[in-house]
Amino acid sequence: MQMVTVAIADTDPGRRTRLEQSLQSEEGIKVLTNVMPNGNEISSNRRSKPRTNITAIEDVITRIGRLKPRILFVDLDQSINGDFALLEALHRKCPETLVVLLTDKSAKDEQIIQALANGARGCLNREAASLYFLKAVRVVDQGEIWVTRKMLGKIMDKVLH
Amino acid sequence: MILLASSSQDDLSRWEQGVRGLLAPIFCSTNLDSVRGELVRIKPQVLLLDHDLPKLDGPNGISGLMKLNPETKVIILSRIMSDEVEWSLFRTGIRGCCRGDIEPEQLKNVVEAVQQGELWIRRALSWHLLNELVMITQEKNKIKQAVSDLLANLTRREYEIATLVGNGESNKQIARRLDITERTVKAHLTEVFRKLDVADRLKLALIVKGSMTPRDPTRIGH
Repeated sequence: MQMVTVAIADTDPGRRTRLEQSLQSEEGIKVLTNVMPNGNEISSNRRSKPRTNITAIEDVITRIGRLKPRILFVDLDQSINGDFALLEALHRKCPETLVVLLTDKSAKDEQIIQALANGARGCLNREAASLYFLKAVRVVDQGEIWVTRKMLGKIMDKVLH
Repeated sequence: MILLASSSQDDLSRWEQGVRGLLAPIFCSTNLDSVRGELVRIKPQVLLLDHDLPKLDGPNGISGLMKLNPETKVIILSRIMSDEVEWSLFRTGIRGCCRGDIEPEQLKNVVEAVQQGELWIRRALSWHLLNELVMITQEKNKIKQAVSDLLANLTRREYEIATLVGNGESNKQIARRLDITERTVKAHLTEVFRKLDVADRLKLALIVKGSMTPRDPTRIGH
């Protein structure tokens, strides 16, 4: 089985560490830790100064471009910030890295669709069992997408109308 | 209501067995004319359609059937087909595709999922869907940017009037709203047309709404 490199950019350090440890124990998966620049995570606060965010996005892109994880889990809240600038930049500058969004119950379908439209390859509830993270990694690594059938229906509506 | 359409009685019986538990009235058609008639007459919620139904004529035929009742969710049952052919069927607007020899219990799951708004598509095909979404979005973003660049050349008043034209207002309404003469509105519009290189207010309205770019005659009929 070919090794898949995975990085997790969850803003919650505790949750991130738990997920990293869980995936690290899986055969064929290598977890890249501390993938986000130190203390320079992209704020999910929409009132942050645009310049600060642009710098933070550039830092993330530089770091991801260097580490080249195959799969990168990113908070939906982080990715929608600045009109999906982070996703758009990752899609353009780090095409070998496939982004999977971490969401929660408050995530709106339209936000998820917009994030997918800007280059994300799947979405997953951050509270999901580690088994689903593992499945998502495998599926997305194979070039498929990881979303619910309901979401596929909504994407198809968007594409056709 | 669920409409089953196949020229094979065996398939129809097996499919009927699968969807019987859904407690919806079931109708069967064995030829294309009958499917057309039933789509109009009973307006089924779901149509299970055999891809090998004689005279169906692939995506074009399916597309034609769907126009008869756009509310009907179509699920295609077929033999193995290539990814390209299957994706071309989804592009007609079908909501699901599965093997014709599917187990009845599994077929029930497919119909239930589609009834609930889900798309029954193989994961291996899902990247087609996402790629189309990404391409459409990129195209829209380009148009938005082009429109935004052009509109930035307008004066505040010209922009205001262009926006009102985009909202479908007449010169008279715009003049009244902005407390200026109709002649002044016309003068501003002439300048807007010149700057954006468009010939009429319909095209201007489409540009303001972001559905076409200037100098894009293919997007609108004359």
